Amino acid sequence: MQEPQEIKKSAPILIQMLIYATILFVAQLISTAMPKSFPLPPAVVGLVLMYLLLTFKVIKVQWVDSFGAALIGIIGALFVPSGISLAANLKVMQAEGIKIIIVILLATVILLVVTAYTTLLINGLINIIFHKESNATDSLQNKEEQ
Amino acid sequence: MQYLTNPLFGVFLSLAVYELGEWLFKKTKGFFLAQPLFFAMISGIAILALLAQIFHVSISEMYTKAYKPGGDIIFWFVQPATIAFAVPLYKRNDIVKKNAFVILASLIIGVIISLFAITFLARAIGLSRAGVASMLSQSATTAIALPLSQAMGGIPAITAMACILNSVAIYAFGSFVIKIFRLQKDPLGLGLGLGTAGHTVGSAFALEMGSIQGAMAAVAVVLIGVIDNLVIPIFAKIMSI
Repeated sequence: MQEPQEIKKSAPILIQMLIYATILFVAQLISTAMPKSFPLPPAVVGLVLMYLLLTFKVIKVQWVDSFGAALIGIIGALFVPSGISLAANLKVMQAEGIKIIIVILLATVILLVVTAYTTLLINGLINIIFHKESNATDSLQNKEEQ
Repeated sequence: MQYLTNPLFGVFLSLAVYELGEWLFKKTKGFFLAQPLFFAMISGIAILALLAQIFHVSISEMYTKAYKPGGDIIFWFVQPATIAFAVPLYKRNDIVKKNAFVILASLIIGVIISLFAITFLARAIGLSRAGVASMLSQSATTAIALPLSQAMGGIPAITAMACILNSVAIYAFGSFVIKIFRLQKDPLGLGLGLGTAGHTVGSAFALEMGSIQGAMAAVAVVLIGVIDNLVIPIFAKIMSI
C-alpha cells in the first residue's frame, strides 16, 4: 500500500529533529500547566499536538515521518532501561511478589481481549442499526424513483 | 565500582543485552523467552545483581549509581518515539474519522469491564488493599498511571512494574493470545486492545501487524490515559477500594 506522501522526499534529519524538539518543548509547557489531579505527560500531549499539526496541514508528513519511523523501529530497545528499573524495586516484589506478577500478566490479557471484543460487539451493534437505516434510505430512494 | 559510574556503562549494557536478545530470538526462531525486551530485562537485572555481589553493594545502589545515568539517556528517547506515533495515526486518518464513535465507546466500556475483571481477579488471588489499588491504573501510560495509583491508595512502584510488565508481556505472549482468542480478524479491536494493554510498546507491536492496527493503538494510548483519569476515581469509590 504505497501512499503518495511516502514517495515524496523526506526533510533533512536535523529539520525533523527540530520539529520533534519544538513539539516536545511546547508539550512540556502544556503538561506542567495541567492540574495535579489530571496529569497528562508531555509525550501524550506531544502526540496529540503532532497529530493536530499534521491533520490541519501546518506541517507536512514528510517533515516528520522518516525520523519517527526510525524511533518507532527501535522502541523495544528504548524500553530496556524501564524494564531494568525493576532492579531498584525488588523489595516491593518480596512482599506479594508472585501474586502481583500473576495479576499483572492476566490483567494484560484481560485488557487486550476485553477491549478487542468490546470493539467487535459495538461495531456489530452499530452495523445492525446502520444497515436498517441504509435499508430505509434505499427503500425511500426506490420510492422516489418509482 | 567507580569504573561503572560513567553513563556509558548503562548505555552499553542496555544495548548489549537487547542485541544479545535479538540474536538469540533469531537463533531460537522466535522462542518467547528470548523476546529481546523480555530477555534484556531479565539478563540486565541479573548482571546488575551479579555486579552488586562482586562490589559488595545492594542491587538498588548498583542500579542507581551505575546503571541509571546511562539508562536515563536511552529512556529519554521514549518521548520523541511516543509523539512519532502521530504519523501512523495521521496516515490512517480515514479510519479514525469514520470510526470515532466506535473507538471512544469501545475504549470507555472496555476499560470499565476490564476494571471489574481485574479487581475481581486481584481480590480472588488475595492481594492486599493497596495491591488491588495499584492494579487499577495499569492501562494508562506510566506517567498517568503512577499519580493515579497513588491517589487511589496504591503503591506507585507496583503500578510502574505493572506498566512495564504489560509492555514486555505483549511482546512476549501477544501473538499467542491473539491466536487463541482469534483477535486478528478485527484490526480495529486488535489495535485498540494492543494500545490499551501494551501502551507504546504495544503500539509498535500493533504497527508491525498493519497500519490500521498501529493507528488504533496510538489512539488508544492517548484516549485511555484521559479515560482512566475520569473513570478510575469513580470506580474506586463504587467498589470501595
